[in-house]
This record gives sequence, C-alpha cells and structure tokens, in this order.
Amino acid sequence: MTRLIDPSLHKLSFIMSEMGDMVIESISLAIDSYLTGTNTKDKVLELSDSIRTKYYEVEDLTFDMLLKYQPVADDFRLIRSSTEISYAFSRFGRYAYDITLVRDLFGDVSECTNASLVESTKKVKHMIKEAVLSFAELDIRKAIEIREDEKFIDKIYRERLPKLIESTNTRCALAEALLLRYLERIGDHAVFMSDAINYIVTGKHRPSEERIASHTKTD
Amino acid sequence: MTALSTKPTDMETSSIDTKSIESKYKMIAENVTVSYDGIDAVKNVTMKFKEKSVTALIGPSGCGKTTFLRCLNRMHDMTKNAKVTGKVMIDDIDLYSKDIDPIYHRRKVGMVFQKPNPFPTMSIFDNVTAGLRLNGVRDKRILDEIVEDSLKMAYLWDEVKNDLKKSAIELSGGQQQRLCIARALAIQPEVLLMDEPASALDPIATQKIEETITELKKDYAIIIVTHNMQQAIRVSDYTGFMYLGDLIEFRETKKLFTDPKDELTAKYVQGHFG
Amino acid sequence: MNSIQNRRQEYRSLFKQNVAKRLLVDKIVRIIVFSCVIIAIIPLGSILVEVFKNGITAISIEFLTETPGSAGSGEGGIGPAIQGTLIIIGLSSLIGVPIGVMSGIFLSEYGDNKLARSVRFFNDVFMEFPSIILGIFAFLIIVLVLGHFSVWAGAFALSLIMFPIVARTTEESLKMVPITYREAGTALGLTKWIITFRIIISAAKSGMITGILLSVSRIGGETAPLIMTILGSSQFFSSMDTPMDALPLRIWRLSLLPYDSAQLQGWGAALVLIIIILGINLGVRYYFSNKKNLFFGKLIKQRRNTIK
Repeated sequence: MTRLIDPSLHKLSFIMSEMGDMVIESISLAIDSYLTGTNTKDKVLELSDSIRTKYYEVEDLTFDMLLKYQPVADDFRLIRSSTEISYAFSRFGRYAYDITLVRDLFGDVSECTNASLVESTKKVKHMIKEAVLSFAELDIRKAIEIREDEKFIDKIYRERLPKLIESTNTRCALAEALLLRYLERIGDHAVFMSDAINYIVTGKHRPSEERIASHTKTD
Repeated sequence: MTALSTKPTDMETSSIDTKSIESKYKMIAENVTVSYDGIDAVKNVTMKFKEKSVTALIGPSGCGKTTFLRCLNRMHDMTKNAKVTGKVMIDDIDLYSKDIDPIYHRRKVGMVFQKPNPFPTMSIFDNVTAGLRLNGVRDKRILDEIVEDSLKMAYLWDEVKNDLKKSAIELSGGQQQRLCIARALAIQPEVLLMDEPASALDPIATQKIEETITELKKDYAIIIVTHNMQQAIRVSDYTGFMYLGDLIEFRETKKLFTDPKDELTAKYVQGHFG
Repeated sequence: MNSIQNRRQEYRSLFKQNVAKRLLVDKIVRIIVFSCVIIAIIPLGSILVEVFKNGITAISIEFLTETPGSAGSGEGGIGPAIQGTLIIIGLSSLIGVPIGVMSGIFLSEYGDNKLARSVRFFNDVFMEFPSIILGIFAFLIIVLVLGHFSVWAGAFALSLIMFPIVARTTEESLKMVPITYREAGTALGLTKWIITFRIIISAAKSGMITGILLSVSRIGGETAPLIMTILGSSQFFSSMDTPMDALPLRIWRLSLLPYDSAQLQGWGAALVLIIIILGINLGVRYYFSNKKNLFFGKLIKQRRNTIK
C-alpha cells in the first residue's frame, strides 16, 4: 500500500544519494589536487555549491514532511537523521573546497607530501566512501571502521601538529597544518554521520558523544 | 501544553515495559480475557497504569482496545454473553472479586464515551450532579460546590456559569463532551476512562479536550482509547498497542512512536495497515 | 484526456433524454400521493363536519348537565353520560396505565429472555382481541360473580383493552432511547432501576404519552364492553357497585329511538364525546410538552421555579 508519505521519502533518498556521490567526488578531487598539485578548485566549488543547494532542498523537504505527515517510528528517525546527514554532506563539500583553496593559495605543495599525510588522506577517502555507503544501505557495521579511521586521523593530527611547530619549511608546515585540520573536521563529521545512521537503525542517540569527550581527555 | 517528554530510559529489552520508577500504580489489570460467545475479543492482557499519568490505547478497529477499556469499570456486566476473567485492581482491591459491591467501586472509575451523551431531559446542573443526586446526595451547598469544581476542571465553567439551568442538549458538541467529563468527575473518581473522547468533535473542540486531559492528569490516572496517533503522542505518557485482542507493545509514548520494538507496532504506526 | 471528455459527452446526451421523463413521473407520483391523502381525509373531515353540524344545536347548559328526560320528549340531557365517561376513563387509566407501563418497562429493560418473548407475543395477540370478548370476560368474572353490573367491571374491561396498547408503546418508546444513556448511567455507578425510572423514562416521555393517549382515545369510544359491564343508567353516578351511564352507551340508546329529538340529542352526545377526547389529547400533550416559547409553558415553569 503506497502511503502519502512514500513519494516524498523516495525523493529524499534520491537527493541524498546524489549528494553522497558528489561528496565522494569532491573530496577525492580536493585531496588529489593537494597531493598532486592539480588545480581542481572550480570543479570542487561547483560540486560544493550543488551540495549546498541540495542541503537546502533536503531541509525544505524534511520539514514539509513533518508538517504534512507527522511521521513516526522508522520514517521519523530517517527524516531526523537525514537533516543531520545532509548537513554533514554540506560540510564535506565545504571542507573539500577549503582544501582546494589551500592548494590554490600555497601553490603546488605536492613536494610537501609525506607518508603520514598519504596515509591520512587515504583513510579519509575510505571513510567518506564507507559513510555514504553505510547510509545508502543502512549498514551500521561500517560504523566501526569509520570510527577506526577517525581515530587514526585524530592521532596523526595530534602527532603532527607539535612537529609542524618545529618545522623549518613554513610553507609546507602551514599547508599541512591546514590540511590536517580539515581532515580532522571531516573525520568528526563522518562520525556524527555514522551516529545519525545508527539512530535510524537502532533508535539510540549519539553513542559517540561520550567517546569523543573521553578520548580528548585521556590522550 | 507540554511537548513530548524526553526521559531517557534505555532499560527495555522486551516489548512490554512494566518497570516502575518512582510513582506507584493506580490501577493494574492482570490477565484480563474477554470472550463473547466463545470468541476471545481480549486475550490475556496485563497492563499497569500509574497514578497522575495518561495512558493511550491504540490499534486498528476491532483490536479489542475499547472492549478492554470497558473491563476496567465492569461495563461488560451490562452486556449479555460477555465473559470476563482476570483481575482489575484499584489500590489493591480487585473490582471483579466476588466480595465487593461492584456499584460502589465502579464509582472510583469515571467514564467518558465516544459520542457525547449528556442526559437529554436534564439541565447542565442536573447532568453534572446526576451521579450524586440520583444516589441520594441532597445537600444543595455540596452540590453547588461540586458542580463548580467539576465544571472548572473540565474547562467549561466560564462558558456556562451564568446559565446552569439551560438544557444540556443546547450546548455544542465540544461543550457537551466537556459536560460529560464534568459529570464523570463529579462522582470523585480516581481513574478516568475515555473512549475516543474527541473523535466526534471538530478540531478546535478536540484541542480543548486535549488541554483538559493534560490538566486533569495532575490529579487522575487517565486511560484513553484513541485512533488518532498524533493525539496519543500529544497527550499520553504511556501507550499500549493492541492487535486482534493481544497487547503487542506497551511503553513510554515517545519510545513507542520513535523506536517501536515490535515489527507490527512499527508497521501500524507508520500507516502500513489499519 | 480526450477520451474522458468523449465519454462525458456520451453520458450527458443520455441524461438529457431521461430527465424530462423522470420529472413527469415525479409529478404524477406526487399527484397520486396527494390524492390518496385527500381521499383519506375527506371521510374523516366529513364525519367531523356532520357531527358538528348535526350536534351543535343540541348543546346547551341543560343538555350538558341534566339527566335524560323521558324517551322522545326532547328534554333532559346527557349529564350522567358525560360524568360516566370521565369516570370510566379515569378509573380504567388508573388500573391500565400503571400495569401497562410496568409491563413495557419489563419488556424493554429486562426483556431479553424467554419469558419476555412469550409476554410480548401474548401482548400482541391481546391487543387484537375484539373488545366485545373482553367485555364478556369481564361480565363473567365480575358481573356474574358479584351478581350485578358495576363500575368495577367496566373499569376492568376497559383496562384490559388499554394495557396491551400502553405496554407496547411504552416498550417501543423506551427502546428508542439510545443505549448510550444507560451506559452513561451505569458508568456513574447508578443502579438499573434508578437509571430506568429517573433518566430513561423522562427521555421516552413523549412516546409513552402518545401511547397512553392512544389507549385513552380508544377506550373513550368503546361501547360493547360497557354494555356488558356498566349497562348504562339515567342517573348520575351513585356507587361503584351500581350501573353507570357513559357517552357511547347513551349515544347508542338515543340512536335506537325513533324520535327526532332523540336523534338530535344523539348527535349532540357524539359531538361532546369527540370534544372530550380531543380535549384530553391536547391538554395532556400541552402539559408535558417542552415548548418554552409558548406563554403557558413559561407560566407553568415560572410557577415551578418560585415553588423551588
């Protein structure tokens, strides 16, 4: 039986999947532009703007559904999380653009690349792909991997920053600092996103909140 | 009007949450079964109702929620061929025990029906006091007090205080229903049963009834049968979902509607059937 | 979309043809129904007109208050008959109405069992009994046993006619009161008899009164049972154990006399009887009506309030 809310739910999932694809593309492009020196600023900007537009679309659509259909249970959790996830997507797009700006500002920084950077960026690409897939399939097992990736990125961030302060090559150091910062933020949002996906499936709120609070204290 | 409560209790693993926190239970229905001519309309249902709370009963038509509600004040005594087994305890007294006077104890439980039914040949005043006058209470002073109290609690006093002798059927539908609430409250019950009290009313009148319920819950345990899920979400603290005579799930309202444990509950509240 | 419009055109053309015919049929049926009503009313109306026409000249104070004169003299009146009719209606009602109402209550409120079904069946049969048989019954039971005609016997016979009608109409009126009021009463913790007598009956009042008035009108005109029980007389009421006069009896006797003056008095008596029955109907209806805008209604209510 098709309910009144079903067409809107389909539209929502369509927009979200489009956003997901754009997020993966924009982050890959941004990271590659940093590592290899290619200029992808315009393309990434275009993607980021599209993502932002779609974010507003999702906001309108979800509030429209709340107004009209007063959804409950699975529908409700899906809609609630979609607002959080689409916000996360818009942030990813924005950070992707910021990363391309670094390359733009600092010029070609491909020689500043080092092993840990390569590792972190690989993890970020993997994490984003997993997050988008996890949402598409509502598979919460991926959350574990996402959190592992995020912890790694955090670790690199904390290790590298003090070293960068001592670094002599200011250009590389600053560029790397900025990049690491953006990667760390992307990581955080990816975890929030996996929490939101967890909420859809299990109904439990924000399990990672305590974890993030705790490992910023103990480390 | 209060928004949804956000008490975070993650203790349930089963679909039936009967853990009490602090407040005690006003009414407990245990293993209640109702059968008509051998067919079970309510199958071995157990529910506990806390004092000063609102419990909503939801479910598709024919699921037994109204039948169950009517057990709670022994209305089925009036129905031929209805057989009721089980216990209904108010403060440790079983309404169905053979040793008690059902009529006396029935007054501890007030009932409001789906279609407003004020007695048609009586005035507003006489309607509210019907349960008292017709039981021998004559003291005019007491009756006046109780009328004012009850009508105030039902949010009807200001609208009718100048003309209590008016015939009850001259009131609008929403007013009549509030009059019926006042009439039920006048006999000083401890539990209030409401069978789809707003389903015959327009949206404004419905809103007033919901506001009344929200106020009343400060003093009474209220059990309301409703087919309007948004109403259940708005007014109730606990919700029970019944289907074909069984109690499928019983939890805090917000939990049941945002994260139902039972597949059937999830299907029903999202409108996949019923 | 075009196909829908085509279909609409097709169907619409069908409609046009039918409408005119249907309106005509409608008109014809209306005319037939009205004519039937007129045909039914004409005899009734003409009876009233006849009685009024023929009887009005007989009416006078003496006519209404004096005892009958000698046969054919044209003197005297129907005073005892009027008194007798009022007495016999009153007495029969006193017996028949309470019993009938109680039976009606039993059948409606407590009547979902075998006993009630048999009672109902016998009640319906009883209602159709020819009144002369009831008269004979009363004759056998009371008149023969006591050895004389009496008012008791008459009241008994008429109450037998009254009570099934009252029982039936009471039962039907009570059943028409929606069950939800009984439920409301039960939920308030009231006993069944309080609910029935203090709530349900007042809601069923109007139907019950109609039934009672119906039965009163019925017995007001019964003649055969009276012949066998109160016999008739030319004197005013003396005691319960003696014969008494009543309008139907008087009308019958007068109509059998060959004198014109007697005939005239008969018409007059008939007119009086009709007026009495009408009067009882209207008066009782009025008293029990809920009309507040009518002056007398207000008057009665004001008096009641001041007494309170």
